[in-house]
Amino acid sequence: MAYHSPYRAAPHVNAPPDQSFLWNIFQRVDKDRSGVISDSELQQALSNGTWTPFNPVTVRSIIAMFDRENKGGVNFNEFAGVWKYITDWQNIFRNYDRDNSGFIDRNELKLALTGFGYRLSDQFYGTLIEKFDRQRKGQVAFDDFIQCCIVLQRLTDVFRRYDTDQDGWIQVSYEQYLSMVFNVV
Amino acid sequence: MFCVQQSTNNPPPFVAHLPTAFAISVTCLCVLLQGYPGGGNPPAGNPYGGGRGFYGSPSSAPYGGGAGGPYGGYGAPVHGGQYGPGPGGASGGYGGQPYRGPHAPAGNIPPGVNPEAYQWFQTVDTDQSGFINLKELKQALINSNWSSFNDETSLMMINMFDKTRSGRIDLFGFSALWDFMQQWRGLFQHYDRDRSGSISGAELSQALAHMGYNLSLQFSEALVQRYGARGRGIQLDRFIQVCTQLQSMTQVFREKDTTRTGNVRLSYEDFLSGAVTRLM
Repeated sequence: MAYHSPYRAAPHVNAPPDQSFLWNIFQRVDKDRSGVISDSELQQALSNGTWTPFNPVTVRSIIAMFDRENKGGVNFNEFAGVWKYITDWQNIFRNYDRDNSGFIDRNELKLALTGFGYRLSDQFYGTLIEKFDRQRKGQVAFDDFIQCCIVLQRLTDVFRRYDTDQDGWIQVSYEQYLSMVFNVV
Repeated sequence: MFCVQQSTNNPPPFVAHLPTAFAISVTCLCVLLQGYPGGGNPPAGNPYGGGRGFYGSPSSAPYGGGAGGPYGGYGAPVHGGQYGPGPGGASGGYGGQPYRGPHAPAGNIPPGVNPEAYQWFQTVDTDQSGFINLKELKQALINSNWSSFNDETSLMMINMFDKTRSGRIDLFGFSALWDFMQQWRGLFQHYDRDRSGSISGAELSQALAHMGYNLSLQFSEALVQRYGARGRGIQLDRFIQVCTQLQSMTQVFREKDTTRTGNVRLSYEDFLSGAVTRLM
């Protein structure tokens, strides 16, 4: 499918971090030394920049993306992908967090998503903020921003699959509709 | 004087070291991802024709689930209502306690609070804050295979019973959640016909049919495939999650399906809004 998403778009601008550097981090995050980083281990290692626990749903989404054998975590090889994914998002976030507040407000979110290619109404940005602002600040922290983009991307992907003539409209039956949304939960 | 503050002041995502020079070109992302049509241009042709579904045409009752209240109600499942049969028809089972840990001594129980829930609240509230947070709830909720509840379901339940939107639940919310859990556990055990401790695709299909949903067996099997652990059926947490989301998304569909044909026409943003607002 000739379709790119902000999180899959991997600009190879810089060389990946070397293996010993990643191994060092992996070992520190893999607290129980199981060779697999679990949701809770990753969550504890991540900071959203606001001293509140990293969004567990975001952690689950990220692990699921890289966990190839459905083992509930990532091994060292997969961790390299996780690392790159998160640092890429971090750079994007910093880029759009123009006032460096650690949060993306509605305007910054609009700039970011417009930059990714989305065309959404102002009203919908209100919906997004309302939904993904876990801290009730009227703006979105790093972890929630990632989750927002993941959800939006998945929904767009599934919509696109049904919108075969690409006119921005779909007609679906009840069960098709449920299949669409359950694909993305 | 003005200076550009370096973003390195933000705590890094990893508490460990952070690679500093990972400049990413955001502009290249813009090129990769084309804008989605959303300009509001009406499509040509007969908009309501030819909506042939993968799953067959809808019958006279395109969907079920009852005329239930919105997502997030405290309402216990009632017979024929949005959650299907009530506890009366689904009692019994193998009587596992939904919450871990010993009973705490009873104290002064506020009115409207289930006494059993009150006792458990003291146990589950490990930091004695007077509130149950996600971590405490997750530790307290277990499936029949002794796994903890998954994050999505735990969060969903916090959101449902957290009236103050503080991300945690108080005693009253917990008492309502307690009742909610008992009902669901009863339903789970009722529909786990072969007593395997998990719900198979066929069992889920039967459960959904009893709740009034008109959905194919393939749909239930796909759900179990998606949420079950390695094809072994779904546990209580996923069962609650699936049924609650199903109810919620049915509500969204119903609102759009004003003519009750079982087919809807949705714009991109309609679709996004419905899903983003109601999905957990």
